[in-house]
Amino acid sequence: MIQFFHVTKRYPNGQIGLEDVTFRIPRSQFVFLTGASGAGKSTLLKLIYRGLLPTVGQILVNGRNLASIPRRKVPYLRRTIGTVFQEFRLIGRRTVLENVSYLPRILGASPRQRRQVAEEALDRVHLKDRIDDLPEHLSAGEQQRVAIARALVSRPEILIADEPTGNLDPDLSREIFGLFREVNEAGTTVLLATHDRHLVEEAGGRVLHLAGGRLASGGDEVGGGGAPGVDS
Amino acid sequence: MNLAQAIAYFLREAVQNLLVGWRVALVAVFSIAVSLLTGGGFVLISGNVARLLDEWTERARLVIYLEEGVTPAEREALEARLAAAPAVETWEEVDSRAAAARLADSFPSLAPLLEEQGSVPLPASVEARVDRRSSRGEEWGLWLSELAALPGVEDVDDDEDWIRQMEGFAGIAGTAGLALGGVLMAAAILTIASVVRLTVYNHREEVATLRLVGATEFFIRGPFYAEGLLQGLLGGTLALGGLLALHGWARATLPGVAGPEGPLGRFLAPQESVALVVLGGLAGLVGAVLSLRRESLGVSETGENPLDI
Repeated sequence: MIQFFHVTKRYPNGQIGLEDVTFRIPRSQFVFLTGASGAGKSTLLKLIYRGLLPTVGQILVNGRNLASIPRRKVPYLRRTIGTVFQEFRLIGRRTVLENVSYLPRILGASPRQRRQVAEEALDRVHLKDRIDDLPEHLSAGEQQRVAIARALVSRPEILIADEPTGNLDPDLSREIFGLFREVNEAGTTVLLATHDRHLVEEAGGRVLHLAGGRLASGGDEVGGGGAPGVDS
Repeated sequence: MNLAQAIAYFLREAVQNLLVGWRVALVAVFSIAVSLLTGGGFVLISGNVARLLDEWTERARLVIYLEEGVTPAEREALEARLAAAPAVETWEEVDSRAAAARLADSFPSLAPLLEEQGSVPLPASVEARVDRRSSRGEEWGLWLSELAALPGVEDVDDDEDWIRQMEGFAGIAGTAGLALGGVLMAAAILTIASVVRLTVYNHREEVATLRLVGATEFFIRGPFYAEGLLQGLLGGTLALGGLLALHGWARATLPGVAGPEGPLGRFLAPQESVALVVLGGLAGLVGAVLSLRRESLGVSETGENPLDI
């Protein structure tokens, strides 16, 4: 569950990222986050995984107040949140297996265990057969699927995605979106930032719309309706 | 991940980073090696000088040259003076024949000359062994003057001035070595810091990914610390090897100076050699720590740092 209470984020240069944003996303809900460029979508997502701290307001993620988590505990929060970005953020010199199995390696898994969990995650994105390839040998859609597998490898409670289809053509976008639906149906809360209006309209469901850093709509809706895997 | 696994991972990653960026790493390794070679060279020299000083101090002598016609009463007065001085441990008389024999022994080429002269030109003397701890300061100087003024005494010669000069030289050499080694070490640390910082910059995307998936700071920074440490240890080992090679070369080409009996004959002690390598490792680690200050890894939560996620 994600809760924002009157959250404002002002950057040191005076720029306002978010202003007085309040909303609640229950467990296992699928929510779109929309808005024009600079509306505050990325800021909101960064606040969830504590890439940023709010200037004002409180944020609860899975019942934990992010402001009260000491910096050294932030990694443990992040292990419960999967993140996917528009630009994939894969490491070119690492194989698909290595890219996907960062967290298992951090946790001290043996090479065999790492391969096993990576295969499981890659199986979920239908890319198991490319496990030993380098990212440069994959198409854009495949690279994004690897990024999703990396986010899923820890079986996160929350999956957040910042314009994950921004670099993909419409067919690939639908394919990637289908993967997010599958993940959500398995019980993971999904928050997907996009400005692809067609995708949002096609999918239906709850939409948080930001404009100029303020929540223009969707904030008071709890539970949503129509979206896949909605609410618990 | 337990500590042993983490250390193995850090070292593996560090070696990989060093191999990938070996050209830049080589600069850091060489700079550490040069600074430690310089510092180690001074340690070697001052160590040998200190050893020589110890030996000379151990053999510190006071030589009282006697006038040719010294009377038995004058000798007795002199011996009474020596017996009364706490710094004087033992003494013996060296007559002019024994002095000539010693000279011939020390300088065989002069022996024929001494024989040709017929008469013995060297004065008799009294040689005293003194305790240097009690033979310093103004009081000792005064006592020596009084000794020199005794009837039957021609001259008094002690090693004090010579030893004091050598001690001064050893002190200057040691200080200069420390200062020069320190400056070079500081430069080497900064070089390593720059190299590690460059490596961090080259790995900024991976650092961001690691942070995103929940890696702790210890896990993220470990490989970079290990890289600095390895560079330093390599530099230290290279310096030790270089010093050994230089000393070996000096031994072969200047046996009178660096040979086993020469004034620079002793190489670094095993513990000094180990300390040289360990010092290199520490310098590398310090360089890495300097380069990985919080800001450089983008830990700020303001979002402005280019390395921040």
